[in-house]
Amino acid sequence: MEATEAPSTADLADVLDRPPEEVREAYGRLFRKRVLFLEADGETIRMAPPFSAVPTQHRVQIGERAYFANCSWDALGIPAALHASGEVFSRCEQTLEPIHLRVSLEGPAPENVVAHFAVPAAKWWADLVYT
Amino acid sequence: MLFFRSEERVNQWCREQGLPRRPILSLDQLWKLAVAWYETRLTPQARRPQPDEIRRIFAGIGLEGPFWDPQSDQFG
Repeated sequence: MEATEAPSTADLADVLDRPPEEVREAYGRLFRKRVLFLEADGETIRMAPPFSAVPTQHRVQIGERAYFANCSWDALGIPAALHASGEVFSRCEQTLEPIHLRVSLEGPAPENVVAHFAVPAAKWWADLVYT
Repeated sequence: MLFFRSEERVNQWCREQGLPRRPILSLDQLWKLAVAWYETRLTPQARRPQPDEIRRIFAGIGLEGPFWDPQSDQFG
């Protein structure tokens, strides 16, 4: 992942030298496969799990690049997807105190941290932003 | 899916939010889930796991039952 921001259909069309409509259709296919989550306009990427296209409370630093994750799971998903060590900067949702995880290729260093899953798996896609 | 410092913090947050207390994962479980779900996500063949694969992934780290069933109808 050489960029840390989601490309617009126009930007990607330029890079790939393809018509924007073709990129739009590809985004739609990836949305239907639940690999991308698009905004209501049907072409702006909101999430490409584990990456978030909008700032969140879960920031992941991989080398010189900083990414946002959609949730605690995705915060660890970014180093897992990139096969890279990194650092997660987030917070305890109850106290709002910072949480800092150092993640190697073998996983996060031990910390007093847990993750709460509030939404059952069958409901995740129904409201992915809340989930 | 939110981070907390401890199970007690989760319980307190759920009480304050008026939300049901749902499953808590350890950091180790969360990492295993992240690897199983995302380690091939940036390959050309990447796709979201299908329901049977999802059940297998969850079961592999001890997450079983209706909450983890992607096709469960037990939660309205």
